[in-house]
Amino acid sequence: MNEFDRLARPIQKWIRGRNWTALRPIQAEAINAIFGSEADLIIAAGTAGGKTEAAFLPLISQVLQSPSESGFDLVYIGPLKALITDQARRMEDICQHASLAITPWHGDVSASIKARARKKPKGILLITPESLEAMFIRNGLQVPVYFSQTRAIIIDELHSLLDNERGVHLRSLMNRMELAVGHPIRRLGLSATLGDMDLARTYLCPNKPEQVQLVEGQNDSSELLLQLRGYVQGSMQFPENKKTTDGCEWTRNENDTEQDEHAADRAIAEHIFEKMRGKRNLVFAGARNRVELYADLLRNKCDNEHLPQEFYAHHANLSRYERSFVEDRLSKGNCPTTAICTSTLELGIDIGDVNCVGQIGAPFTVASLRQRLGRSGRRAGQPAILRQYAIEDYLSPGSHIADRLRLNLLRAIAMIELLLNRWCEPPSQEALHLSTLVHQTLSIIAERGGASAKRLYITLCQKGPFRKVSPDLFGKLLRSLGDPEIGLIEQADGDLLLLGPKGEKLVEHYSFYAVFKTPEEYRLLHDGKEIGTLPVDMVLNKGSQLIFAGRRWEVIEIDITSRAILVIPSQSGTPPKFGGDPGLIDDKVVSKMRFVLADSFVPQYLDKTAVALLEEARSNYQSYRLDKSRLISQADGSHILSTWRGTVKTCSLALALQTLGFKTSLYDGMIEVSSNPDNLTIEDGLCQIADGRHNNMFSEDSNLMFEKFHPFLTEELLRLDALSNKLDQSALAPLAQEIIEDA
Amino acid sequence: MKRAIKRRERDTIIQALRAGVVPKLGLQHIQVGRAAEIAELVKDIDRISEGGAAIRFIIGDYGSGKTFFLNLVRLIALEKGLVVMSADLAPDRRLHASGGQARGLYAEMARNLSTRTKPEGGAMASVVERFVSQANREAEEKDCPTGEVIRSRLEYFEEMTGGFEFAQVVHRYWDAFEAGDDDLKSSCLRWLRGEFATRTDARKALGVRTIVDDRNVYDHLKLMSAFVGAAGYKGLLVSLDEMVNLYKLTSSQARNSNYEQILRILNDVLQGTASHLGFLMGGTPDFLLNTRRGLYSYEALQSRLAENQFAREGLVDLSGPVIKLANLTPEDMHVLLENIRAVMQEPDRQIPDEALVSFMQHCANRVGEAYFKTPRNTVTAFVNLLSILEQNPGTNWADLIDNVDVAPDGGDDLSDILDEYEAGSSKEPIRVLEENDDLASFRL
Repeated sequence: MNEFDRLARPIQKWIRGRNWTALRPIQAEAINAIFGSEADLIIAAGTAGGKTEAAFLPLISQVLQSPSESGFDLVYIGPLKALITDQARRMEDICQHASLAITPWHGDVSASIKARARKKPKGILLITPESLEAMFIRNGLQVPVYFSQTRAIIIDELHSLLDNERGVHLRSLMNRMELAVGHPIRRLGLSATLGDMDLARTYLCPNKPEQVQLVEGQNDSSELLLQLRGYVQGSMQFPENKKTTDGCEWTRNENDTEQDEHAADRAIAEHIFEKMRGKRNLVFAGARNRVELYADLLRNKCDNEHLPQEFYAHHANLSRYERSFVEDRLSKGNCPTTAICTSTLELGIDIGDVNCVGQIGAPFTVASLRQRLGRSGRRAGQPAILRQYAIEDYLSPGSHIADRLRLNLLRAIAMIELLLNRWCEPPSQEALHLSTLVHQTLSIIAERGGASAKRLYITLCQKGPFRKVSPDLFGKLLRSLGDPEIGLIEQADGDLLLLGPKGEKLVEHYSFYAVFKTPEEYRLLHDGKEIGTLPVDMVLNKGSQLIFAGRRWEVIEIDITSRAILVIPSQSGTPPKFGGDPGLIDDKVVSKMRFVLADSFVPQYLDKTAVALLEEARSNYQSYRLDKSRLISQADGSHILSTWRGTVKTCSLALALQTLGFKTSLYDGMIEVSSNPDNLTIEDGLCQIADGRHNNMFSEDSNLMFEKFHPFLTEELLRLDALSNKLDQSALAPLAQEIIEDA
Repeated sequence: MKRAIKRRERDTIIQALRAGVVPKLGLQHIQVGRAAEIAELVKDIDRISEGGAAIRFIIGDYGSGKTFFLNLVRLIALEKGLVVMSADLAPDRRLHASGGQARGLYAEMARNLSTRTKPEGGAMASVVERFVSQANREAEEKDCPTGEVIRSRLEYFEEMTGGFEFAQVVHRYWDAFEAGDDDLKSSCLRWLRGEFATRTDARKALGVRTIVDDRNVYDHLKLMSAFVGAAGYKGLLVSLDEMVNLYKLTSSQARNSNYEQILRILNDVLQGTASHLGFLMGGTPDFLLNTRRGLYSYEALQSRLAENQFAREGLVDLSGPVIKLANLTPEDMHVLLENIRAVMQEPDRQIPDEALVSFMQHCANRVGEAYFKTPRNTVTAFVNLLSILEQNPGTNWADLIDNVDVAPDGGDDLSDILDEYEAGSSKEPIRVLEENDDLASFRL
């Protein structure tokens, strides 16, 4: 019996109607796997690799061969509304022959379709995690009715859900679903090919990842077009034939009196205008002020050339109306639109597929680069296009080492190399995800109209995805939520926990259903004046130093409630132009950067300027002896510590040094220690950390609120949460030891 | 006291007590204490029979015997010729809603509608039947068409909200009765029981334009009270348990609209607008007293339900709408255990009184004074003990008592996921609950 014969009649008919000559290998394999066992399954292939059919043809066949009486037969969970609409169309085509109902279900689906499905749930349900959440809260009693007959849950774009809050959220929902119906439901993941599929396995089936079967597409047929363009800030054009005598360094042209601070930005805008106009594109530009800058440059350009406006800014500070205007324009797709955005358009919001993704400056994680890139090339036959822009500064004799190493460019190269190797940040196993736990706690209470602490603990921690949370910690979390000031939950006379006054308001509003939020930008204030905004994703303390707008600033106060950081100009040293924007970079990325510095290989996707910049960085790496020594002292008395680790460990060490009294600035894989406390040398400080005498990393006003429900937690819980994924206390001593030894 | 007990009653009682629920029959055999409260409720029932109205909130802790009390009153009311509609509130059954939950409550009440001859519920058909046959008899006496008698009997219904359709449906029932059309008959009963979900269905089946829906539940209760009166019963008692479900509603708006319904009922009853109609509502103290989400959170209800301020330090006033079930005393508990013993064991093979004393002592050691204040778990344990003794002749009670496990009572929240635990235990070993026992008794 071959694979085709195992399918149900209507499906066979559909396949014949499409004139397929044969099933693709991945589809044949998936059919055998799905019919052959009841185990969980991952189907991995590139875009347009036939994943959806591979999963659905056999599953629909199974449904047709033994139909259920009521309830949804299959549940498809997709992260994007547009994706669901798209898939619903494809399914309808298949199911026409099979007379199986298809119900797309997300925020934009009309209430009448939902009402019909509620009354008579059957067939295939296509839903977003957020709508599933809403189902639990608003129709919690019906959940067992809906899903008792469900054969399988199909999770699309599994690779985008591995580590983040949304992924944990979905795991919790699937788990609650299984508890509600009283038996496990088969899980199928559709994923892009990742280097290490074990992560996806663990995600699907945390108890027995080794039992998850894997069907992998052989060659990733989808094409990726890629270019990394280097730009040098400070002149209109890169002076290609003006190499100075001292080798590779570019110096400022002293005759050029009109120095243009935004030359590179202009050049990039020019390039974007030329290459992207007339299509639908996304350009990720980092912080809000950068977004505004580029949007302004591009709009002026349109005005000057008397062309219709098609470049729009999109960030969290714009009004709801302006944002949805841009989103609508993008998703409708009838007029060319390019959105210049912060990370706001990376997650969740639906904009359909775009032609090209621009990325100005390197992002912090490969996962987010992959996520952004995934917005383009969704359609069969269309390549995914990534235009990566890296801005570097002119070097002058006084330039900072961070600039000389061209860290921005290097990070971009390292990210792309890792992306091409199909690597992706592993989920941090130890993370507590307390913010998501708060969300799920409130959700269960709302679903059941009250729940006991024990029930919550069993559902979420003992059986659910929050296994790192001990009963004791969970108790603390509940007490934190129950604090009358916070008022999210309260307790009835018995054991039942109920929603408190604020909890009720929170849960009632539709914005509750989503667990993720785009990272908050902090305002930087100096002398009462705002000097700009900065997205902050890592822990800062009083005394941390920031590079912003080409100057070095020292943090003197962090006001968490109003999202403001008070700074004063720092006294120490020459600041680099390279802004170590505070985001989390993985160890692997930094070690890749070091590898690229030490190597001599030149990637083919670099443009001429980028190649020149890379060579320059490599020669500086040698001349500063960074390949030999981990602790080098600079002329002005400051030190460069090379950790060659990602942000978590580097930041931990920097914070530990700060609490000893040092002043530190952070770069990718490096710490600059710019001044010592009176009684301590940097070597002594490292020794103290190395032998474990000192390991405190927090000051009173560390900023610890990163996720949606963090504001409801106590300082103690926030520190635990930060220690579980933003900082690494256990790495401190070995790291310091390593640096001392290599000094 | 020592009336003979029927075998059927005995089995019902034992089964129910073992499951920790209140038996529907034979309550008089085990009832102890609370004589004043019962006397007060009997007065209420008499008032209802005489054309008055009454409302009582029965307030007591989890396991303190609210449901038992409500059931006892229900049985008394049935004995006295009332019709009783009873239901437990639940998240999908409440007094006011927009998604069919209020109709759900009405349907549940109508399913449980009971009369003296059908004390276990499902008596809607017999009530209608009785109305029709009485009309029939009167028609024969007067020698005029039955339809006319029915019309004249239902005439005043048309003045009440929704009464026109109600009367129409009863008419249709008579038509069906005459024509022998069983389908139509059951459609009429379905309508009366609030089981039509849409107006279109009702119009197709019966030709009426309205149904029992979320907005007119209370109006239909009033119609029912008039109807049972017309059928020759003395009145209607509506008994609602687990009112705490309203308190647990997540949205403050939903809670308030439910409390508004209660206020409407309360006003009607206390002002004398309603007749032949009584309400019993059972809930926990939280449901009444909590000023953020209980009945007291609704200003108008708080002032109407406030306790008599002189009723303190042993003075009681049972005439107000709120009856707080006084906790049982250890002496009551002793009598209760005696009663259970009398139900379960033959007089000549009973365990001695000292066994009762030592059982109570054991419970007191395990859970403190909760064992007599909230008797549910204590009773269950005792019934289990007696069953073991009965089925294993020769066992000594003294050996068993130390192994009896009594847990404090705190609402029933975990049953479903713990059951699942045991069922799916092969997959994952049960982590015994000691590990998170501090959560079992978690306080904010």
